[in-house]
Amino acid sequence: MLPENSGRQGGGVEGALSYSDFRFRPARIKKVVAESPKVKSFYLEVREGELPRPGQFYMVWLPGHEEVPMSASDAGADFIRITVSREGETTAQFHRLRRGDSLFLRGPFGNGFSLEGKSFLLVSGGYGAAPLIFAAKEISRAGGRCTYLSGAKNRSELLFLGELRRLGVEPLVATEDGSAGHRGLVTDLVDAVLPRGKYQRVLTCGPELMMYEVVKRAVGRGIKVQASLERYMKCGFGLCGSCVLDPVGLRVCCDGPVFDGELLLKTDFGKRRREASGAGVSL
Amino acid sequence: MKLGIRLGRMRMKNPTMLASGILCNGSLLKRAAVEGGAGAVVTKSLTREVREGYPTPVVVGVDCGVINAVGLANQGFASYLSEDLPLAKEGRVPVIVSVAAGRVEEFEEICVRAEEAGADAVELNLSCPHVEGHGMEVGADPAAVSRIVKDLAGVMKIPVHVKLGLSDRMIESAVAAEAAGAEAVVAINTIRAMAIDVDARRPVLTNVYGGLSGPAIHPIALRCVFELYRELSIPVIGCGGVSDWRTALDFLMAGASAVQVGSALAVRGIGIFREIEEGIRRYLVKNKFSSVKEVIGIAHGVKR
Ligand SMILES: Cc1cc2nc3c(=O)[nH]c(=O)nc-3n(C[C@H](O)[C@H](O)[C@H](O)COP(=O)(O)OP(=O)(O)OC[C@H]3O[C@@H](n4cnc5c(N)ncnc54)[C@H](O)[C@@H]3O)c2cc1C
Ligand SMILES: Cc1cc2nc3c(=O)[nH]c(=O)nc-3n(C[C@H](O)[C@H](O)[C@H](O)COP(=O)(O)O)c2cc1C
Ligand code: FES
Repeated sequence: MLPENSGRQGGGVEGALSYSDFRFRPARIKKVVAESPKVKSFYLEVREGELPRPGQFYMVWLPGHEEVPMSASDAGADFIRITVSREGETTAQFHRLRRGDSLFLRGPFGNGFSLEGKSFLLVSGGYGAAPLIFAAKEISRAGGRCTYLSGAKNRSELLFLGELRRLGVEPLVATEDGSAGHRGLVTDLVDAVLPRGKYQRVLTCGPELMMYEVVKRAVGRGIKVQASLERYMKCGFGLCGSCVLDPVGLRVCCDGPVFDGELLLKTDFGKRRREASGAGVSL
Repeated sequence: MKLGIRLGRMRMKNPTMLASGILCNGSLLKRAAVEGGAGAVVTKSLTREVREGYPTPVVVGVDCGVINAVGLANQGFASYLSEDLPLAKEGRVPVIVSVAAGRVEEFEEICVRAEEAGADAVELNLSCPHVEGHGMEVGADPAAVSRIVKDLAGVMKIPVHVKLGLSDRMIESAVAAEAAGAEAVVAINTIRAMAIDVDARRPVLTNVYGGLSGPAIHPIALRCVFELYRELSIPVIGCGGVSDWRTALDFLMAGASAVQVGSALAVRGIGIFREIEEGIRRYLVKNKFSSVKEVIGIAHGVKR
């Protein structure tokens, strides 16, 4: 029932976990980069050798404020990067932080994308670019090819275009207001490229309704597709059930956040999610 | 060897249960039963009103367990009973609805509706250590326990279980619950605790106080079960720090008829119920017992 690349929790896929893996540790901010008017990246100092996989996430806490999940958007020998879109109270507080300040982390949690294969189509919407730029980097490093489709409201919210070009990936862009690239939705670009390319895998992250469209199109063509999902998270390690996808009973935090498209279509993905109380709301 | 047990009027295919507040939602309760092999599952504690719970952080790890102050977050009993309970029941094991309330009438309203919706039993959470007016104070007050249970036992057809926390008057409360008509006592809930992050120099949980669960509390829970077994004739359900078949079996030997498993799911996964069942089965076969009933309370030395 579980996706093949199921996360660390849920049977100890990567060996035994211990309760202390669920405590916070401080991570000093080494560098802050403004990626767009709404989005900042934070380079965090972490213990040596900690390497999250693309698609894994951290629970990030700023004492005095809330703890929220954030995907790793890059990682190196001595740093990890998170890329934070200002959406509300907590993320606004994150945006006020500077070099030398600290955030507190638990994780990395979750399974991550499976990156076997040689040719990928990456479809990102908004801050969904965070895990996908990391995936693009890993794919390039491993000698794979990718086409990167990037969607945003307007030109200034398109993320990581320079970074992609440095990887040798030419992004195709769509903006809702037409200020850059195709005027319209990133799914229009998917319709244009999917029939032409010989993609082994499609990876997508962004607003859920966008991902839903991408997944339907890929599954319809028999192409393997993985989407990185968001649900309300409290524990991050599979205990509380807050992040469930019904009716299959998948936990986004540890059975995901990355799921195969075919599995997702058996769930309420694209239709309904639960709020902090557990109450269901339609999307 | 079959590991089936009877818990009062309830039958279970094995003595493991999913503890309240863990996994929580209907589809995951079903998974705990079908994929995990749990003998019964307990819902999160339902309240009359929708509760958002406390702001994060609400669950953190410590050396030997977990501290949580989820704050009884739930969508309200009505929505849970109509949307989640049916899914949970697809797991084809008894589903016990946990209920938290501030007043007798509230308990009654929710329990009656749970029975109508198809719950196999109700578990009164008289022991939440981190929400005021919703448990701990009640569970530590034998007269209040007696009032609530008597009221419910009078109107309910399904069994009423009472979940107690660690308190000086736990035994008295349990005895009062039995006299008032409870059919099982669950012991224990989490123990009021806190965590301070030395780098942040402040309490980790937004609510400051939370409840400690996991291996850290097992010896305490074991002592509670041992004592309760001596005082009660209704079944005791052991809860607190079950992490493997040994910590489940010692509960049984102390006198528990069944065990509930919570925190260990985070480190062992959903399959822990089956692991426990298999471990106990191997033990029983190896030691030439003919049923699991024979080990219940065996640590007391005398047969009851
Ligand atoms: C696995 C995962 C990875 C994520 N990765 C990123 C990322 O790389 N970059 C990024 O900018 N954002 C990411 N998010 C989203 C991010 O967690 C929310 O934008 C953030 O929690 C908003 O908090 P706020 O207080 O600023 O806004 P609020 O106004 O409180 O909320 C805005 C939105 O965020 C949701 N949210 C709030 N708290 C949580 C929570 N504890 N768990 C899940 N959702 C919550 C709310 O439901 C609401 O939809 C990720 C979410 C998940 C689940
Ligand atoms: C995240 C979390 C949420 C919980 N929610 C509830 C609840 O709603 N009602 C309840 O009676 N107990 C709740 N508990 C307590 C557990 O049911 C159990 O009594 C306790 O965790 C001890 O068992 P354990 O050591 O196996 O985890 C919760 C525990 C945790 C960790
Ligand atoms: S956040 Fe996924 S189970 Fe708690």
